[in-house]
Amino acid sequence: MKHFIFKLLMVLAFSSFGQDQVTLSGYLKDAKNGEALIGVKVYIPALEKGTISNTYGFFSLTVPKGKYEVEFRSYLGTETKEFDLQQSINIDFELGNKIQEIEEVLVNAKKGENVQSTKVGQIELEVEKIKTLPAFMGEVDIVKTIQLLPGVSSASEGGQGFYVRGGSPDQNLVLLDEATVYNASHLFGMFSVFNSDAIKSANLIKGSMPANYGGRMSSVLEINMNEGNYKQFKIKGGLGLISSRLTLEGPIVKDKASFMVSARRTYLDLFMKAFIPKGSSFAGTSYYFYDLNFKLNYKVGKRDRLFLSSYYGKDNFTFGNTNDAFNVTMPWGNAIASLRWNHVFSNKLFMNVSGTFTDYLFSFISDQEEFNFQLNSGIRDFGGKIDFSYFPNFKHKVKYGADYTYHIFTPSSVSAKQKDVTFDTGLAQKLYGHESGIYVLDEFDWTEKIRINVGIRYSMYQHVGPFTRYIKTDITNPDSTLFYPKRKVIQFYHGLEPRLSGRFLISKTASLKAGYSYNYQYVHLTSMSTVSLPTDIWFPTTNIAKPQKGWQASIGYFQNFKNDHYEASVEVYYKSMSNLTEFKEGALPSDNVNDNTDNILVFGKGQSYGIEFFFKKTVGKFTGWVGYTLAKSTRIFPDLNDGKAFSAKYDRRHDLSLVASYKLNDRLTFGAAFIFATGNTLTLPTAWYVQGQDLLFHYGARNSARMAPYHRLDLSLTIYDKPYRMKKNEAGEKIKVIKKLRSNWAISVYNVYNRSNPYFLYVDNKGNFLQGDFQIKVKQVTLFPILPSVTWNFEF
Amino acid sequence: MPKIVYLLFVFGLLGCTKEVNIDIPGFQEMLVIDGSIETGMPPIIFISKSKDIYASTNLNAFLNGFQTGAIVTVNNGTSSVVLDEICADNLPPGTETIVADLLGIPVSELPNYHLCAYTTFNTSIWGEVGKTYALEVTFEGKTYTSSTKIENPTNLNSVFWQTDKNYSDRGYSWANLSDNPSQYDAYKWEVKRLNTYGNSTPIDTKFTTTFNPVFDDEFMNGKTFNFFYENPMTSSDDNIPSDYRGYFLLNDTVVIKLSKMERKVYEFMEKKYVQMGTAGNPFATPTNVTTNITGGAIGVWAGYSPTYDTLICKP
Repeated sequence: MKHFIFKLLMVLAFSSFGQDQVTLSGYLKDAKNGEALIGVKVYIPALEKGTISNTYGFFSLTVPKGKYEVEFRSYLGTETKEFDLQQSINIDFELGNKIQEIEEVLVNAKKGENVQSTKVGQIELEVEKIKTLPAFMGEVDIVKTIQLLPGVSSASEGGQGFYVRGGSPDQNLVLLDEATVYNASHLFGMFSVFNSDAIKSANLIKGSMPANYGGRMSSVLEINMNEGNYKQFKIKGGLGLISSRLTLEGPIVKDKASFMVSARRTYLDLFMKAFIPKGSSFAGTSYYFYDLNFKLNYKVGKRDRLFLSSYYGKDNFTFGNTNDAFNVTMPWGNAIASLRWNHVFSNKLFMNVSGTFTDYLFSFISDQEEFNFQLNSGIRDFGGKIDFSYFPNFKHKVKYGADYTYHIFTPSSVSAKQKDVTFDTGLAQKLYGHESGIYVLDEFDWTEKIRINVGIRYSMYQHVGPFTRYIKTDITNPDSTLFYPKRKVIQFYHGLEPRLSGRFLISKTASLKAGYSYNYQYVHLTSMSTVSLPTDIWFPTTNIAKPQKGWQASIGYFQNFKNDHYEASVEVYYKSMSNLTEFKEGALPSDNVNDNTDNILVFGKGQSYGIEFFFKKTVGKFTGWVGYTLAKSTRIFPDLNDGKAFSAKYDRRHDLSLVASYKLNDRLTFGAAFIFATGNTLTLPTAWYVQGQDLLFHYGARNSARMAPYHRLDLSLTIYDKPYRMKKNEAGEKIKVIKKLRSNWAISVYNVYNRSNPYFLYVDNKGNFLQGDFQIKVKQVTLFPILPSVTWNFEF
Repeated sequence: MPKIVYLLFVFGLLGCTKEVNIDIPGFQEMLVIDGSIETGMPPIIFISKSKDIYASTNLNAFLNGFQTGAIVTVNNGTSSVVLDEICADNLPPGTETIVADLLGIPVSELPNYHLCAYTTFNTSIWGEVGKTYALEVTFEGKTYTSSTKIENPTNLNSVFWQTDKNYSDRGYSWANLSDNPSQYDAYKWEVKRLNTYGNSTPIDTKFTTTFNPVFDDEFMNGKTFNFFYENPMTSSDDNIPSDYRGYFLLNDTVVIKLSKMERKVYEFMEKKYVQMGTAGNPFATPTNVTTNITGGAIGVWAGYSPTYDTLICKP
C-alpha cells in the first residue's frame, strides 16, 4: 500500500515535467450542424494512447514530438488525420464530412471503450439512438430508457422516479446543462420533463461518482441539451395523440452563434373541454402540461464560448365540481437556467465557469363555499461552479474546481381562511442553506495495464437563519418556538469524500474494474405516499436532520467479443447509507403545518447489494441489450417497524430487461422492449377490527407484502418516408430529388399482451356485518392496459 | 371512435381493478377495547379480538369476535364500579333503547344477536363533566388500562341552513362557533334527522357522523368562524342521484350533536377517519390508528361532553 501511494505521488508530482512533449488540442464539432461533439475518442494508434472530448467538445492530448496518425472516433464514424507534431497545435475540427456505412460508424465510435475506460457503472445514451425504441404514448423519453438498464429500476408503472442500486429517488443528481432538476416529471410521473427534440445526450453514473460531482449519494444523470444548428435554419417536430412538439434551431451568426428553442404541450385539456358537457358536474376539470427549452451559444473568440440554457415547464391540474362549488387548482413546475463560459487558457488548461438557477414550486389551491385553502412547497437554488481541466501529458487528466449553491427551501407554506376569518396556520417554513465543495481528481495511466481515477472532494453545508424552530413537548402542552436571526449559522456540516476507481487491462478485449466512492448528501426528499408525487417534500439538512452519508464499492469484469460487436459486463456492488429519512409512524400531511417538517421525521440507515449482468450487441441491423440485476435493499429505522430491518420501498430481487432494434431497410425499423421485475413491496393491513361500528385496519410490518411480478412487452415500428422524390428534368428524364421535408411515423404498442401489472394494492371492504353481506377483499389496481400510439415526426 | 372511449384512452383509464390473493404475512391477534362514556350516560365497553385480513367475514365470525368473561372496572376518583356483561339477546328490561343506540341495531332486532358489551346501570359512575374516568380491563390473565376526561362542553353560537347555489331546496347544515383561546379544544360533529316516514317511523334511528367528523383548534384557536357539514345519511346512498347526495332538504329537522373530547381521544379519532377516508388511495400513507390504552390492546377509551342544537332547514 505504501509503495502504491509513493508511486502515485511521484507520478502526480513529475507528470508534467516530461521533455520534448507537445500538445494537440481543440474543439470537435459536427460538420453537419456545427454542434459540439461530446465523447469523441481522440486516439493515436502508434502510441496506443488517447483521450475523450468533454461535454463542450474540447480535447487535449499531450504526446512526445513526432509524426502521428490521429483517429477521431465519434458516432459519426472514424476520421484519421495526420499531424507532424513538432510543436503544440490548437485547432478545431469538424467531423462527419466523410460518409460511412452505419455499421462502420457504430463499430468505430466506441470501439473498446467498454473495456478500456475506468468508468464503472457509467452509461451514455444518445437520444437519436433511442428514437426507434417503443415509446409510451408516443413520447420518446430518455428517463424511461434509462430505467431499462441494469441497476436502475422505475418507481412504478409509468413512473419517472428511478432507483439506482437500491438508493432512493432523491439520491439521484439530475442535471440539465449543469443546473439541478428537482422534479423531472410531468403528469404525476408519467412523462419526463426532457423533451427528446431538445436533448442531445444523457450520461448516467450509477457507480463510482468522480469527485467533480457531489451532493447526491446514488447516481448522476447528466442531460445535455442540443445547442442548435450553427450551419442552417431547421424546423422539426412531432404530432402525437396527446401532445405535440416543435423545435426551431439555426445560426444567428453562421458558425459563430446559434440558438435552439423547443416547445411541447399536451392537449388533454382541449379534448376534455370538448367532451365534458358544460352542465356536467366536472365541467371545470382539466389537465395539461407544457415545457419550453431554449439555448443560445456564442463563440466569443477562439478561446471563449458562452452558453445560455433555460427550461420552463408547468403542469396544471384543475378540478371543478359545479354542484359542490368545489374547485381545486394544482399547478407545479420547474424553471431552470444556466449560463456557462468556457475559456481555453492554453492547450493544456480548459476552464468552465457556470452560474445556475433552479426553481421548483408546487401549489395546491382549493375553494369550497366560503373556504379557501392554499399550500405552496418548493425549492429555489442559486449556484455557481468553476471547473478546470488540466492535461499535463497523455498519461494524466486532472480536474479541479469548486462549486457553491445557495438553497431556499419552502417545505410547506399554508394559508386558510373562511370569508374574513384567517385561520392560524403558523409561519411559512423557509430554510436557507449554503452548500459548497472543492475537489480535485486525476485520471492517469499507472502502468500500461492499470489506469486509475483518484479524487477527493471536500463538501460543506451551513444551515443559516432566519429560521423558527418549533419545540415540541408533551402533547398536553403548547409548542414553544426558538427564532434564529438572519445569517446566523444554526448548524455546520462538512466532510471529505474520497473517490477511487481503476481499470486493470487483462487483454485488449477484457478488463477488470473497481470503484469506491464516499458521498455526503445535504438534501432529503420525504414522502408520505406509497407512490412518487409532486407533493413529496424536499427538505434540507438541519440541526435535527443530519446529512445523508453513504459509500459504495463495486467491482466488475468487462469483456468485448467479435471485434467489439458485442459487449458484456458483470458488476457486483455494495452500498451503505446512513441518516436516511422517513416520516414518523402515523404522520399526517397536516402535521407539516404549525411545525417543522424535521420534527416529524425519523432517521435510519440502509444497505443494498447486488450483481448486474449486461450484454449488448452494438453493431448490425439487429442491435440491443439484455440486462439482469439480482439485488437486495433494506432499511433499519429505530423508530419504525419496531426497530427491525425491512425491505426498502423498491427493493427488487430480480430485474430483467431485453431491448432490441431491427433495421429491416432504410425505411423500416422495428423495436421491442421486454421487462420482468419482482413486484414492489408495500405495507398492507394484516388484521381488521371494529370500533364504533366502523371497520378499521391494523397494518403489519413495513413493506412486508409484495405485489405480483411486473412484466410487459412493448413493440414499435418506425416508418421513414423516401428521402427523395422523382422529378422529370428538362430532358424529360426521371431524376431523384432529395426532399427538404423528411418525416416518419412512429407506431408503438405499450403492454402488447395486456398484462394487468399492479400499480398498487389496497384492502377494500363493503357491506354490513349485520346484514350478512360484509366482505373484505385485497384489490389490485392496474394503470395501463394495451396502449397503441402513433406519432408523426417531421424535419425540414 | 366514440368520444368517451377516446377520452378514456388518452387518460389511460382503461386500466382496471381486480381482486387478488397475495401473501400478507405477520398477522398477530390483538385485543380491541372500544369504550366510551359521555355526559349523563353509562360507560359502555366492547371487547373483541382483531381478525386476520383473510378471515371469514360472515355474521357469526363478527359476533364471535366479541369477548365475554372480562373484568371491567371504571373509576371516577370517588366511585369504582365493576361493569356488567350484557348481551343484546338477554337485556335487562327498559334498557333496550339505550343499548340499541349504542350497538347500532334496531330495537326489534336485538334478540337476534348475541352481541355482548360491558356497562352498568349504577348511575354513580355515569358521565359527568370535568371528571376523569379510569378504565381497567382484565382478560385472559392480562390487564389493560386507560383513562379519559369529560371536557367542558362548548355550545355552538348558532346553527343555520344555507342552500347550495344550484338549488333552492337543498343545502348544508352550517354552524357558528367561538373557540376558547385559552385551552385546547377538539370537537366531534354528529347529526340525526327528526323527520319521520309516513307511518311515523323515524327516518334516522341514531346519530351519524360524516366522513370526517372531528376537528381541533390547531388552526382556529380563539377564532369565531362558520363551518358546514353535509348530510351523512345520504352522501353515499346509491338510491339517490349523485347530484342530490349529501344535502339536507328544505323543512328537514336536524339535531346536531357537538361533542368535546380530550387531545388523546382526538388523536385516535383523527387517525381513524384519515384511515377510513384514504382506504384504497395510493397517495396515502398506511396509518395505524393510535390508542390511549396501555397493555398491548388497540382501540380507545373516549369521554365526550356533547351539546345539542336543533336545526330546522329553512332559509
